[in-house]
Amino acid sequence: MSGALRPAPGAKPRHALSPASLLRRFGPLLGLLILCGALGGASDRFLTADNLLNVCRQSAVNALVSLGQLTVIITGGIDLSVGSILGLCCVMVALLMHAGVPPVISVVAALAIGSALGAVNGILLTKLHLPHPFIPTLGMMNVARGLALVISGGFPISELPSGFRFWGAGSIGWIPAPVILVLLFCGAFYVFLSRTTIGRDIYAIGGNSLAARLSGVPVDARLVLVYALSGLTAAAGAIVLAGRMNSGFPLAGVGGELDSIAAVVIGGASFLGGVGTVSGTLVGALIMGVLRNGLNLLNVSAAWQTVVIGIVIVAAVWVDIVRQRATERGSAE
Amino acid sequence: MDHSPLLLEARHISKSFGGIAVLEAVSFDLRRGEVHALVGENGAGKSTLMNIVSGVVRPDAGEMLCEDRPVRFEGPRDAQALGISFVHQELALVPQLSVAENVFLGRHPVSRGFVNFREMHERTRRVLAELGREIDSRRLVAELSLAERQLVEIARAVAFESRLIIMDEPTAPLSDHDAQALFRSIRLLRARGVGVIYISHRLKEIFEISDRVTVLRDGRRVLTQPTSEVTPEELVRAMIGAELKERLQSAVAGSVQSEEALRIQGSLNLTVHRGEIVGLAGLAGAGRTRLLEWLFGAGPAHPVTTGGDAGPTREVWVNGRRARLRNPVDAIRHGLALVPDDRKAKGLVLGASVLRNIALAGGRTRFFVRRSQEVRMAQQWIGALRIKVAGLNQPVVYLSGGTQQKVVLAKWLFAGAKVFLLDEPTRGIDVGAKAEIYDVIRTLAGGGAAVLMASSELEELMAVADRIVVMHRGRIAGVLTRAEATEENIMHLATGGAD
Repeated sequence: MSGALRPAPGAKPRHALSPASLLRRFGPLLGLLILCGALGGASDRFLTADNLLNVCRQSAVNALVSLGQLTVIITGGIDLSVGSILGLCCVMVALLMHAGVPPVISVVAALAIGSALGAVNGILLTKLHLPHPFIPTLGMMNVARGLALVISGGFPISELPSGFRFWGAGSIGWIPAPVILVLLFCGAFYVFLSRTTIGRDIYAIGGNSLAARLSGVPVDARLVLVYALSGLTAAAGAIVLAGRMNSGFPLAGVGGELDSIAAVVIGGASFLGGVGTVSGTLVGALIMGVLRNGLNLLNVSAAWQTVVIGIVIVAAVWVDIVRQRATERGSAE
Repeated sequence: MDHSPLLLEARHISKSFGGIAVLEAVSFDLRRGEVHALVGENGAGKSTLMNIVSGVVRPDAGEMLCEDRPVRFEGPRDAQALGISFVHQELALVPQLSVAENVFLGRHPVSRGFVNFREMHERTRRVLAELGREIDSRRLVAELSLAERQLVEIARAVAFESRLIIMDEPTAPLSDHDAQALFRSIRLLRARGVGVIYISHRLKEIFEISDRVTVLRDGRRVLTQPTSEVTPEELVRAMIGAELKERLQSAVAGSVQSEEALRIQGSLNLTVHRGEIVGLAGLAGAGRTRLLEWLFGAGPAHPVTTGGDAGPTREVWVNGRRARLRNPVDAIRHGLALVPDDRKAKGLVLGASVLRNIALAGGRTRFFVRRSQEVRMAQQWIGALRIKVAGLNQPVVYLSGGTQQKVVLAKWLFAGAKVFLLDEPTRGIDVGAKAEIYDVIRTLAGGGAAVLMASSELEELMAVADRIVVMHRGRIAGVLTRAEATEENIMHLATGGAD
């Protein structure tokens, strides 16, 4: 056995952070700071504590939804149904409470419904061998929105219990409750994605699903979990939104899938899969929120805001690609 | 027949790539109405010669004549204009279009600015009839069998009025029945004066279909004769060289232990013992990769056609116990490891770091990653395998082929594998790194691991393996001990000589 291959005594691991990787990590944050500076210069109402807290509160729903979307995009997929799942959960949670179900149980039920619908997306994708996640989630997007309208009769369900409204409209001290919720979710997703073996599997699937499968990653089970998590965060977004608006309304979250995809992509994730961080996504969601808020303060019409956001999305990805090409040239030499 | 005019004559063609001579003064000719077989081992220069004939590659020296007139091809179009067509192994058809549209792709018959579909279908039917086969010209190519698709490709060549058709291993994906149909079409073409250059590894069909045969070895022509005047033995000897190359003796010889590590029983029988390296030889398409991936539970979930059969009736024993290996998770739990033939597509997450790749297959039983332990183990295997990397966070995409392959091996050592299935472990790896990979393989076996290693390089198998199992068309054609394993014996079995 003397010739047997045994692990050699190892050297100390080195942690090196090159300027390129620093830029990749903090690029979106830099963008956010520059944006805040510019808006602060353009409007004296922007850089006030009240307004900034307001921005955070407004960004909370998108930030929550984007965490699930990030997980999906890391696998190389996309989830178009999150906005509709949000709408359906928003109606469901309000209906349950109107029917006399205690708020806590209603919230748990809404989270379960969101997760289940997400899991259905994952099962459709992996068991029916549909060609791309686009298809099952596009189907779910229509089904969930339709159900939200059917169940609510098309009308908002207003006047919700005050205990429930806390997570949308309340504060702890001066910090808005939804901001605390977002931070809790961010922490959980950060630990899940970068400290657990399942999180590692999710990145590996996005990097090369065939190699992952041949290395023992249960790809189908992981994908079902990932889409279920996306449904879960959409439901969490629904609870915050319903609380803030004091209403469960069937058109909640229309366009939410696109806002979440934008936040994830601005935050540095790659549509090709395998790349993306929680912190980047959080910053991406804040950039979206800051833009909307700042443009409002500057009296830019809603129509023009949409134009600006479209340009920002494309520009953010373009900057990212230019940066990647630069690092690749650097590494190849 | 000897006096029929030369369709094509290539004189003293030489070609080298990056300083390595691939063809050295090779001459080759083809008469009207002749089937000329071209044979040789992988790397003998067949493909390069055919790429020159079809205008894809330009020769460094030598001249080409078409019906006694000197020609110079600047590109494939020039060759096509002279009626030279290449039917490639990977068929170049558009599955969503009809048979007729594929036959006339890019040259649709037109009347008054519109595609004349009636004429297109009519002419397609005529061409298919000339080939002696019937396919509805309106069917979509996607619905056709592999054999029918191949026929469409040949029909395209005929519709182009090709006088010279090159076929590169046309029977590789075909059943015997379909191969016979193909031969009938080839005979009809021959009767019409079309010349066919027929590349194949299968000796039987060379004797069945060809009029003359040319053997290339190491970029030189070693034989051109009428097929009726050579024997299969002469052909094999010409392919691999009369004098057998000195075999490399491995440092650990005859250390085969008796304990059985892996056994397959059923439609195919194979045993690998602990400490043993079993080589898996066979020509392209013999089923080596399919066997290894099937063992590993990695069936047809990736886009590789597996012939459509429901799966072979075989049972697998690992360490003497019956094992159900339905997927890679099962296989890994039983201590199996697969080093796939295409490490970039199947072995590595290219964009991820060395650490992530090494830790990819192991430690999944825990929920939380133990980063410090993971780093320490990865560092240890990097040291043991002498993997040259700048750091654990370096992406594997920029590493050399040999280093990447060591990362794949480290991944399985990290996961604690005991039975190694290696598929072409040194493909695309330079000579020095190959020797290191052989060392690793021998050391693995020396440490008690069982190794089943498929390779198309016979010298490699003869240097490393304790026994060599030769496959032919999905079956085991024979098992050779180290002493019996000469290139001649292996090639004889691999080309179906034992049938």
